[in-house]
Amino acid sequence: MAAGCACQTTEEKSLPYAQLDEVIAKYRGEAAAIIAILQDVQELIGYIPKQSIAYMAEKLHVSPAKIYGIVTFYAQFRLAPVGRFNLMVCEGTACHVNGAKSLTRAISDELNIAGGETTEDGMFTLERVACVGCCSLAPVIVVDGEAYANMTPAQVRRLIGQLREKEQSAGEAQIAKEEL
Amino acid sequence: MQQVAITLNKRLVSGHEGMTVLELARETGIEIPTLCHEPYLKPIGACRLCLVENEASGALLASCVTPITPGMNINTASPRVIEHRKTIVRLMLASHPDSCIVCDKGNRCQLRQIAAGLGIGDTGLEKIPQPAVVTEINPYIIRDLSKCILCARCIRACQELVVEGVIDYCKRGFKAYPATFGDFPLEKSECTFCGACVAVCPTGALMEKEKPYQGTTRTSVTTTCPFCGCGCSVRLEIKDNRVVRAVPGRDMLSDRGALCVRGSYGYDFIHSADRLTTPLVRDGESLRAASWEEALHKAAEGLQRARENYGPDSLAVLGSAKCTNEENYLLQLFARKILGTNNIDNSASMYQEATRSGLGASLGFPGTTNHLGALEQSEVIMAIGTDTAVSAPQVAYAIKRAVKFKKAKLIVIDPRQTKLTAFAQIWLRPRVGTDVALLNALTKVIIDEELMDIEYVSRKTEDFNVLPLSLEKYSPEFAETITGVPADDIRQAARLYAAAAKSSIVYGSGIAGREGGAESIKALVNLAELTGNIWCRGCGIYALQRENNAQGAADIGAVPEYLPGYKRLDDTQARRKFEKRWQVNLPLKRGLSYLQVFRQAAEGKIRALFVVGENPAVSLADTELAREALSSLDFLVVQDLFLTETAKMADVVFPAASFAEKEGTFTNFEGMVGHVRKAVEPPGESLPDWTILLRLAEAMEKPLPFANLKHVMEEIEELVPHYEGYHYEEGRSGWEQRRDSCWESLNGFVRFTKADFLSEKRDTAEVPLTLIVKPSLTHFGSGERTSRSPRLRFMPPGNFLSVNAADAAELSLCSRERVKIVSAAGEAEAAVEIDMQLPPRIVSLPVSFPGIDRLFSLREKGDHSSLTLNTCNVRIERIAKNV
Repeated sequence: MAAGCACQTTEEKSLPYAQLDEVIAKYRGEAAAIIAILQDVQELIGYIPKQSIAYMAEKLHVSPAKIYGIVTFYAQFRLAPVGRFNLMVCEGTACHVNGAKSLTRAISDELNIAGGETTEDGMFTLERVACVGCCSLAPVIVVDGEAYANMTPAQVRRLIGQLREKEQSAGEAQIAKEEL
Repeated sequence: MQQVAITLNKRLVSGHEGMTVLELARETGIEIPTLCHEPYLKPIGACRLCLVENEASGALLASCVTPITPGMNINTASPRVIEHRKTIVRLMLASHPDSCIVCDKGNRCQLRQIAAGLGIGDTGLEKIPQPAVVTEINPYIIRDLSKCILCARCIRACQELVVEGVIDYCKRGFKAYPATFGDFPLEKSECTFCGACVAVCPTGALMEKEKPYQGTTRTSVTTTCPFCGCGCSVRLEIKDNRVVRAVPGRDMLSDRGALCVRGSYGYDFIHSADRLTTPLVRDGESLRAASWEEALHKAAEGLQRARENYGPDSLAVLGSAKCTNEENYLLQLFARKILGTNNIDNSASMYQEATRSGLGASLGFPGTTNHLGALEQSEVIMAIGTDTAVSAPQVAYAIKRAVKFKKAKLIVIDPRQTKLTAFAQIWLRPRVGTDVALLNALTKVIIDEELMDIEYVSRKTEDFNVLPLSLEKYSPEFAETITGVPADDIRQAARLYAAAAKSSIVYGSGIAGREGGAESIKALVNLAELTGNIWCRGCGIYALQRENNAQGAADIGAVPEYLPGYKRLDDTQARRKFEKRWQVNLPLKRGLSYLQVFRQAAEGKIRALFVVGENPAVSLADTELAREALSSLDFLVVQDLFLTETAKMADVVFPAASFAEKEGTFTNFEGMVGHVRKAVEPPGESLPDWTILLRLAEAMEKPLPFANLKHVMEEIEELVPHYEGYHYEEGRSGWEQRRDSCWESLNGFVRFTKADFLSEKRDTAEVPLTLIVKPSLTHFGSGERTSRSPRLRFMPPGNFLSVNAADAAELSLCSRERVKIVSAAGEAEAAVEIDMQLPPRIVSLPVSFPGIDRLFSLREKGDHSSLTLNTCNVRIERIAKNV
């Protein structure tokens, strides 16, 4: 069953087919284990590339539309790679009443991305989550496992700037190192 | 099955175990409104409209998913039920656009019908604004998601009925909607535009895009589809003498819930501006309009003259597998009684003769031995030489359903990759033309490993002893050297086929349409006989037909070697019966076959020809031969819908009515007789073929004794075995031939026959590649009808020469490069497309490729059975690039 968009993209070539096969073999090619398989694939690649859906569909004898439906149904699955920094904005009750929405909006405006999206340079992903479990710090943003407490839109913009700088200097350091 | 009694609306009724409350209610005549329910699909209980109250427990149940259990006391319309039902509909309407007045679904909308039935006008709820969300635009389907009620009928039809699985739910909750993989438009998906989703959509969410009429029609006629041999029931909706919509028919035996792209959108040709509206007669170089009297007189005169000058066998009639049984009956009668010749045949014979001689020799009846429903019950299905999804979509649906939902195992034998190969457990790819060796090896494995059904073989078959000896050399290893299929794969396939209690074989023109086709078919029958899989529930041999009435035309005797009902010309008793009834001395000499007619016409032996509904100048594989033959005739009469290339060469052209403009019957490949019913008036002065035939007979002063179609039907019933009692009665839904009595007519036994592998010892050094003609869903027959259905032209098969990557590399061809294709007969030019799925040394061209006919030659000796129509040997030459 060739997938609809079986064009040979670079993405397709870079898929780790051997490892995908291992995942499928681990679940004995059972289509019923599709969610577990998808979780493993996401663990492996970091997200679920569309081409991997086509590949799995063929191996598991289910239609790619069915797997796509499952991937889009569960919030845990991502169809696009997550950025270098995943900005998790908590929108749980405590954060919500303390203005989490304005944080989300600030990130959206600053980076021109909506929830679940990644900036074109692959630097930032905006993720809206329900509760991260530190309500006393509300509203809170979690980046790289670090919680930023009592945030305001202005602080968010500053944080984004800092993160970008950090990445740039890290990149320059890397280049300098290579040049040496 | 155990009966379960329940109380339903205060009445005690009983149904069988496992039945749902809804099914029992509908059987009892109690209407329960439903939206997500559809008889062909598994119930999912999504819409909750079918709520009923179990007064024994006080529970509200969705009746479509609730099985009946003893002690139930169901009320389908209690005040509670009505209240809930109303609330559900109000909620649906509150988030549904207010565009009913302009919505094309109009009164066909089931949501609107149900709302009206419950008396809901104003919902009394705050509306959720629903701007139109038109997201799919192609010539077939327009989708407005704002009208979607998420009943999943489209999704289930796509997955369960036609088993394409192109769409599924995407996202969840309020955001859910049906979508393709990756949300791509349908035309970029695997969608075949069969229209099943549109036909089941209860609201205006899915509708036909390019349609001649907006809204609901008052009249509709259920008739039989005129394209492939599946003969599906199709309901034509009519407005102002125009067919404006075609949906799966719901009140005939051949109703299968879904059509294909041809059935759903191919009817546009009926109202093509190209339709002939008056008779035409030759006036020097051109044709001019004439009255019926003049045209009939001219035609009669021309045919008489040839008959008087050169004898009856200088005339021939080419009938059509597209015409009804009654018309074919009249045609053979016309040829035999009025012209006095057995020269009557149709183009389907070129593919069907192998079935007639192959199946006929073994089973005594040349046709499919079981019906499609039984195919779906099979445990193992072997599909050989057939791209079923294209040539007989309904059969492909059934095979895919059997594999997907009934755990059937599929063995595909085909060098090409087809839609079915993805469903196959075993896919054998023999070299083109080596099927007999492969099948013989399969048979030998079954005998050697004692996997056969000994009881069946000893009780029901004869001539078994011819088999072991004739198969001696066909060890799997020997077959491997011929076919290229690994010996172990052959063994595996044989074991799989023989191990199942119920196995079926499906074959198509990849077998029947090539040299030695009859031998392959005999080998197939041997396989089926050995394992007792000829005719029982879930068993059978399915001979697919390319055209809607190929089976009927042969059954009814419009073939050169048989009288009606496959009575041999030298069967004195049968002849006497026909002679007495027809009051004529029948010609004894076997008539010319379709192909022989052209060869003999080219040699000047056939002087006058009457062609009905065929277009050999385009459709004969060797059109050069056809044109030469037609132009050497003294006199040519053509009867057709359009001024075809053949008609342009005629002396007289009769305008014929299409399937939608006449009455009659078609017999599909299963032997199911489907009714053809008049939906609209024929355009201009055109007339149904049968009327024209009766009038022509009159003009020849030998009128046939039929005042109307019913008389013809009555005579067929009387004279043609297997058609007793078939004829059309108001209110009856189709008719099935009693095949069990048909094939057992040969002493009640079926026999084994030796199948020989005739290796083609052709010199292929010059032409090392095999060209396969690729069939297309949207190009049918000579393309006269499909090319005039604008919507079918939307998905043109790419006119490329598909070449395997290795071969392309060897010839250093690049994609889109134009090359010359050279065969022994001629050459053609095409652009190259690299196809990763083709096996090496095989190239393929679509059947609609202009000039493909130049690669074939039918001038050599040999008749239909020794022809290969869908492959030929070629070589590819690079064209020097212009500098």
